[in-house]
Amino acid sequence: MTTTAAVAQPAETNEYRGGLSRVLSVARLHYTNKATVFTIPALILTGIFAVNLAIWAIIYNSVPVADRGDVSEGLQWSGSTFYIFVYTFVIAVQAINVTFPFALGYGVTRRHFALGTALALLGLAAVYSVALTVVASIERATDGWGFGGRMFTAIYFPANTWYEFLFVYFAYFALFFFTGAFFAAIYSRWRIIGLLLSFLGLAILIVATLATIGAAQAWGELFAYLGALPPLGFVAWSFVPTAIAAVAAFLVIRRATPKG
Amino acid sequence: MDTMFPSSDPRPIFVQIAERIENDIISGALGEETQVPSTNEFASFYRINPATAGKGVNLLVDTGILYKKRGIGMFVAEGAQSRLKTDRREQFQHEFVRPLVEEAAKLGITAAQLREMIDKEGTK
Amino acid sequence: MTSVIEATSLTKRFGAVTAVDSATFSIEKNTITGLLGRNGAGKTTLMQLLTAQQYATSGTVEVLGATPVENAATLQQISFIKESQRYPDDFQPRHVFASAPWFFPNWDAAFAERLIADFRVPLKRRIKKLSRGQVSAVGVIVGLASRAPITFFDEPYLGLDAVARQVFYDRLLEDYAEYPRTVVLSTHLIDEVSNLLEHVIVIDDGRIIVDEDADSLRGRATTIAGPASAVERFVASREVLHTERLGGLATATIGALGEADRAEAATLGLELAPVSLQQLIIRLTTGESTPPAAVPAGTEQRA
Repeated sequence: MTTTAAVAQPAETNEYRGGLSRVLSVARLHYTNKATVFTIPALILTGIFAVNLAIWAIIYNSVPVADRGDVSEGLQWSGSTFYIFVYTFVIAVQAINVTFPFALGYGVTRRHFALGTALALLGLAAVYSVALTVVASIERATDGWGFGGRMFTAIYFPANTWYEFLFVYFAYFALFFFTGAFFAAIYSRWRIIGLLLSFLGLAILIVATLATIGAAQAWGELFAYLGALPPLGFVAWSFVPTAIAAVAAFLVIRRATPKG
Repeated sequence: MDTMFPSSDPRPIFVQIAERIENDIISGALGEETQVPSTNEFASFYRINPATAGKGVNLLVDTGILYKKRGIGMFVAEGAQSRLKTDRREQFQHEFVRPLVEEAAKLGITAAQLREMIDKEGTK
Repeated sequence: MTSVIEATSLTKRFGAVTAVDSATFSIEKNTITGLLGRNGAGKTTLMQLLTAQQYATSGTVEVLGATPVENAATLQQISFIKESQRYPDDFQPRHVFASAPWFFPNWDAAFAERLIADFRVPLKRRIKKLSRGQVSAVGVIVGLASRAPITFFDEPYLGLDAVARQVFYDRLLEDYAEYPRTVVLSTHLIDEVSNLLEHVIVIDDGRIIVDEDADSLRGRATTIAGPASAVERFVASREVLHTERLGGLATATIGALGEADRAEAATLGLELAPVSLQQLIIRLTTGESTPPAAVPAGTEQRA
């Protein structure tokens, strides 16, 4: 037996690193597993794109040369564009549902978690936007990959220059991220019941809005207004529901408790 | 896991620790003026809480069997071995001799027969 | 001795079920406290209240002199490892050990590495694919290597086999001896940890029924056994925790006995045996708890 007189070092209370440090650590936490936020979305997108490419090639080649210009027109209504954003919804949901109880276990306050997660999602939106802007630019440069295909520059992206694309992509990503975060926060706090009620509430809200517009015979005015909006203005309006979703998610998660 | 301290012994753990250290001193395993293992080492070895180990060690410090050299550790006091042996003799009477005599009486063994049995064992 | 945790009339109700009922106790700095009780007694809920993961219905809790609720400075001093810890999808152990240091300033990476080897945790396999024991090991390693000044372990070793559990106890003791900290350990495997504990809190049906030093608790009860009539005579004037009869024989668990009492018992031909901590707590909680049928469904997962 050794006979050292061991001097015990207490695990002293450590110096509080400050809120900013905690928030940044939470953001970092969301990026810990590169697969979840980069590799898998990239793979999914590549897969969908490949399928689209194949379909376009088939269509393009089966149509008489004279009509090929029309093909490109039709393809601008690409349905697969939506899939670009679906997975962002999934990421946001995972970020809140599973990372939240995990972060609580790491001693993070709900406030720091919400701020750090918002930061992480904004960062992801920025990174994704840059990546997709690059891809969109390539799509335009190759005139739709040679087939007039328009997945990344579909009609839903009212943009022409690269910075307009960047803006539009960022707006859409932010919208899906924070809407996803909102629903995930609802589920975190009130589980299935909360989710169902919030869907119901949202549906009622939408129907009521539509009904009001219809009752006031305001459809004409609405379309006139929207039509007169510069396309980017329309997209800029999407920041409003994004911000509302973000604030709502923050408020909901403030008193959420881990379940199970 | 009380493999080191069977639950058949009702005395507090720290008392049993102290006793084990005393046993080692009596047997000579821990010589006088040598250093004894630290409280943490006892705790690790016997798988007990360091505070309990500390209590046991302090018990022996109070009775003068161990003493502390500041900055170094615990040492066996001079004369500890002979002192312990003397104390144990008194305990011996109570703990071993009395039950021996009582049990012998139950079995109808006379004092003379008892002495014969003791001689057969041979004191070392 | 300073106390680092003070709970006063802490109560938590989930609808009609009272998971924690007016708990009042304090935990001393740099001690190992066992939070013992049956499954469903309220151990997990109590720990969740102390770490601000759940909000109390009433009562107060102070950790390091302040409320832990949304208190980042206090929460940074705490690590809470629960047996049902869920990890983000597709996380591997290496992600956990890479991210933990960001949140625990006292994290010791070298210690974590030794523990990873001790528990044989595969670093690059997805946590979803790990065995129960390996998942528990991940949690245990975080709890130990974080060296958080206040470390909670909520039955962290479910799934660990006996050998791994012993490794956990040994590492905990060694590290606690060298780096003292406040440890609160909840378990129902009482005998395994009884020698590690300095202080014991027993919770039964949400209520604290024992809050004592482990040493004084160990000597608290004795079992006597022998002919039923002799047993009955002996226990007539004493507090009896439990008795059992088999024909003409009986055993009884009663309070501590002094020298004179022991001698008396011997003359009556009664056998004496000490009561282990686990047996004592079983006796204390069996007598007072409601039978399973009366407990409303849903309480079982409360702790």
